[in-house]
Amino acid sequence: MPKPIFNKTNIFIALQYLSARKKQSFLATLGVMLGVTTFIVMINFMTGVNDFLDDAVFNGSPDIIVKSTQKTHSRKQSFDTRINSLENAKKIQAFLGKKENVQSIAQQIISPAILVSDVQQLPGSINGVFPAEEDQMVDLQRRLIEGKGFQSLNNENTILLGVSLAKRLQVSVGDELKMILPNGKNMQLKVSGIFSFGITTIDNVRTYFSAKTLQKLLDQENAITAIHIKLKDRDNVDLKTAISQNFKETNVEDWKDSNKTIVIGNKVRDILTWSVSFALLLVAGFGIYNILNITVIQKRKDIAVLKTIGYSSRDVVFIFLVQSLIIGLIGAFFGVVLGYVLSYMISITPLDTSDFIIVDTYPINFKAIYYVLGFSFGLLTTIFAGYFPSKKASKVDPVTIIRGI
Amino acid sequence: MILQAQQINKFFKDPERHQVLHNISLDIQKGELLSIFGESGSGKSTLLYILSTLDTDFKGSLQIKGKDIKTLSPLALTDFRNQHIGFVYQFHYLLPEFSVLQNIMLPAMKLTQKSIEEIKHDALVLLEDIGMKDFAKRPSYKLSGGQQQRVAIARALINDPALIIADEPTGNLDQKNTDIVFDLLKEITKEKGKTVVIATHNSKIYKNSHRTIEMIDGSIRL
Repeated sequence: MPKPIFNKTNIFIALQYLSARKKQSFLATLGVMLGVTTFIVMINFMTGVNDFLDDAVFNGSPDIIVKSTQKTHSRKQSFDTRINSLENAKKIQAFLGKKENVQSIAQQIISPAILVSDVQQLPGSINGVFPAEEDQMVDLQRRLIEGKGFQSLNNENTILLGVSLAKRLQVSVGDELKMILPNGKNMQLKVSGIFSFGITTIDNVRTYFSAKTLQKLLDQENAITAIHIKLKDRDNVDLKTAISQNFKETNVEDWKDSNKTIVIGNKVRDILTWSVSFALLLVAGFGIYNILNITVIQKRKDIAVLKTIGYSSRDVVFIFLVQSLIIGLIGAFFGVVLGYVLSYMISITPLDTSDFIIVDTYPINFKAIYYVLGFSFGLLTTIFAGYFPSKKASKVDPVTIIRGI
Repeated sequence: MILQAQQINKFFKDPERHQVLHNISLDIQKGELLSIFGESGSGKSTLLYILSTLDTDFKGSLQIKGKDIKTLSPLALTDFRNQHIGFVYQFHYLLPEFSVLQNIMLPAMKLTQKSIEEIKHDALVLLEDIGMKDFAKRPSYKLSGGQQQRVAIARALINDPALIIADEPTGNLDQKNTDIVFDLLKEITKEKGKTVVIATHNSKIYKNSHRTIEMIDGSIRL
């Protein structure tokens, strides 16, 4: 009856071999540790950045935007200050209402305008929104730095500003602003809220204002410039083609079109994370492979002796595999710990705000699954690296070795 | 009878087919000290490896303790060797990563018929028998050649095997150590009733064995 190969004696022998080569074993363990650490830090950081950008951009903008196609203005019309309104808006809304994948719809009317504060005059645009609709589209509450959200737009002379825009205008909540529209009409406004999406391109220009009031001021009742759609399943953008087929005069954009750089950036970061981690673990694996391989060659006589005194090929495979497994377990464990520590340190490192994103510290993800993944990868690498030398060891023929002297 | 070999023929296939052993038949009795003597290349080592079950690629039959070796699977053969056969080589082959005591314990730790404590006790008794109790904790590579060979004999005895196979056990030792080692092997047969088979060049050994066979060109000279 064959005895189980997983037994104390075999593990004892494996440990004895490992401790006889402390330096090499230590270096191999270090290799695995660094591989796992790098994987965890990189994936934490890269997915942290990805999620941060996703969150900021995709929550600040809709999944699909339906606009009217640009009318070609003739020279005569070039002084026309009327907003290019989306025709068939009602029909499109009815069409969307029947679609399964639509989570919410919000209409906007966007008009160019000049904003005048006590100290600054800035050209910009005004986003007229319907507060109840827009509330479904954008979670502004979470983005508010000061003041109130969409509900304050029910007063017709209030405006919400992006934080960078407010800074440039040097206004804060409660301050007065003057808005001048292309048709010459102007209005005195009160800043009721300041928000930040964390992305400069949004925070620098975004304003929210009552759509009804804007329509009135522009003398274009019911005019809207865009329909924003939020999808239940964001990755399924079939709706985009459905709209452009049914409504010829529309220009439909999905989130991938509008955020190409971010989508590509996410992909590049993903590729980088996986390829660098893979390369590092590969190097660590080669290290283990080398050490065990050399050991097997140096220890052929010992392996032959083990076999003559009663250790089977399976025992020998196990003895050598356990050595790499121990290296893997220890390396992966410390890799996970160090990965966490480094990630934590990065996550509390202040970040000099760039022009593109606004954030206090580096965005880092702390998902348990990444640690599990890193640990498993480290272990898998060592099992792989250990298997071939172990197999080689088990094939040592005691007769050839012993008589070969 | 402890070992019975019948009509053993052995061929080497590399570099060309070549017969190394010719129709060897041999009976070995319990408690016997048998030496196999012969020139280098006479086939005595080859025969020894067949008798010790390490080499199973031969024609003919081999029975040890009534078991036909060829009917055993490789795994069963390993266990059989572990329990019934002890080895001593010319180059002692202690494992340098282990202490003297651990080296002796290894075959018994594989057999797992006794607890570690019992095995340790047995190993210490064996060390005392060979007069090396004080060396138990030493790393095995820190011993002299003669001491290592005595430890190797203790290792061969730990599982209380019926058969001890020794391939040129004194080939690498000076006269004084040769005497010590050979006396030890003689003692094993006399006091413990073990069977010892020795392949050797040393005339002093084969002259003092119970029985000697001489190998010439792969055959036993009668």
